[in-house]
Amino acid sequence: MKYIKEHIMFIFPMLAILLGIESSMVFDRMSRDYEKDLKEDYSMLVLANTPMKLSDFQQLDQRISSMNRIEKRTIVQEMAQGMSGISAEDIMQALPHFYTIHFGRYLDTQEIKQVKHALVASVDIKKVETFGKSHNSSYHLFVFIKVAFWTFVGFMTFTSLFLVIKQMEIWQFAHKERMQVMEIFGASTMLRSGILFKRAMIDALIATILTSGLFAFLRFVWTKQSHIDLLMQKEALLFAYKDIAILGGIAMLIVITSVVVVVISSKESRL
Amino acid sequence: MANIISASHLTLGYNTHDADVIKNANFKIKKGDFVFITGPSGSGKSTLLRSFYGQLRPKSGTLLVGAQDMQKISKKKLQELRTHFGIIFQDYKLINEWSVAKNVVLPLIIAGYNVDMQETQAKRLLKHVKLSEHADRLPLELSGGEQQRIGVARALAKNPTLILADEPTGNLDEYSSNVIWDLMENANEQLDATVVVVTHRIPNIFSIPYRHLIIENKGIYEVH
Repeated sequence: MKYIKEHIMFIFPMLAILLGIESSMVFDRMSRDYEKDLKEDYSMLVLANTPMKLSDFQQLDQRISSMNRIEKRTIVQEMAQGMSGISAEDIMQALPHFYTIHFGRYLDTQEIKQVKHALVASVDIKKVETFGKSHNSSYHLFVFIKVAFWTFVGFMTFTSLFLVIKQMEIWQFAHKERMQVMEIFGASTMLRSGILFKRAMIDALIATILTSGLFAFLRFVWTKQSHIDLLMQKEALLFAYKDIAILGGIAMLIVITSVVVVVISSKESRL
Repeated sequence: MANIISASHLTLGYNTHDADVIKNANFKIKKGDFVFITGPSGSGKSTLLRSFYGQLRPKSGTLLVGAQDMQKISKKKLQELRTHFGIIFQDYKLINEWSVAKNVVLPLIIAGYNVDMQETQAKRLLKHVKLSEHADRLPLELSGGEQQRIGVARALAKNPTLILADEPTGNLDEYSSNVIWDLMENANEQLDATVVVVTHRIPNIFSIPYRHLIIENKGIYEVH
């Protein structure tokens, strides 16, 4: 019972740290995906006095990655049919050139303003419509969720690290005498700390398996049963096999650091 | 006989600014000697013993244990040196979460003996200290005398060249004390181990020749 309790006392905070890390990796993948969608969906409408090429736009702002010319002839011809005395060609001449421009990465509201100012400053450009309001609200919601999430993860990691440190103090208390006796009889550091390493490695392995198992379950089982389209489409974001290696690596790092601290603090002081 | 411990102008103390515990002591302990070190409480008996197993560096002078200068000895060398010692403590210093059998073979575990060898030796040692029936129990389930017998068995596990005992019978009744003294006499006679015992009082049941060093006024003197 005592043995199981000792394991749980270390597995619990370790699990909390790994869950926080895995959640942050999932959130990072989701936010990148969302940023990609926002970036791909977003474009500015530019009304130019003269025909423009991509390089003309890029000279005004390097962040512009592509452009599309909006074909106006068909619309203009339909408009001209309903008007007497005005030819389609006259309307074409009077109308500016319409373009939509896209960006290589996600831009925040400040950057959108900068791009707009750079474009408007050109004499060739008559007007720029950024559709900033809808972009802005999506962006702010996104930023809010991001801040709230990272605050939660930070708090969880801090609390869990505190629990790990507390558990290390218990270990130190429980193993100090044994390690000192072994040291007096000439045991090497590796031998003295071997039991602790073994125990902590088992705990780290269990915590890694539990965390990976939970997220694998969410990806492969739960999403399919949830019938939520968005989740079913994006299920790959919930868990990746490389996460097991990352979680395992982090768990081992925590374990090694914890045990080394306990071993160093239990060392016999030679006066 | 070669010296196993040799002290020359040895001064011991815990801090540079604190008063010395042992001052300017000169003595030699030869291989195979059985030595009692006595003295009043607080005279520095345990301090002297700690310096033999390297837990305390000499403040000045020279202390050679084996061929090692205990002032300059490296951690690695000290670790190696300690594997030749059998150390017995007044408070036993057993590992309470380990079984009696595992405690007894601690020096063999440290030396890297395989499990079969450890089991064989545990049986032999526990038979020697008459505790065979307690092999699988935990130390705290035994009496003080029995725990100290485990301590002695552990000290003898690897046929040590030097046995250091700090008040080994300090907490024991007369019967248990006599058992411990018998075991130590045997170790000296049969294993040819050098034995250094720090104690308040030399037992009167002792049947083998021994030397007696006394600590007085920070000095160490031989009693003839």
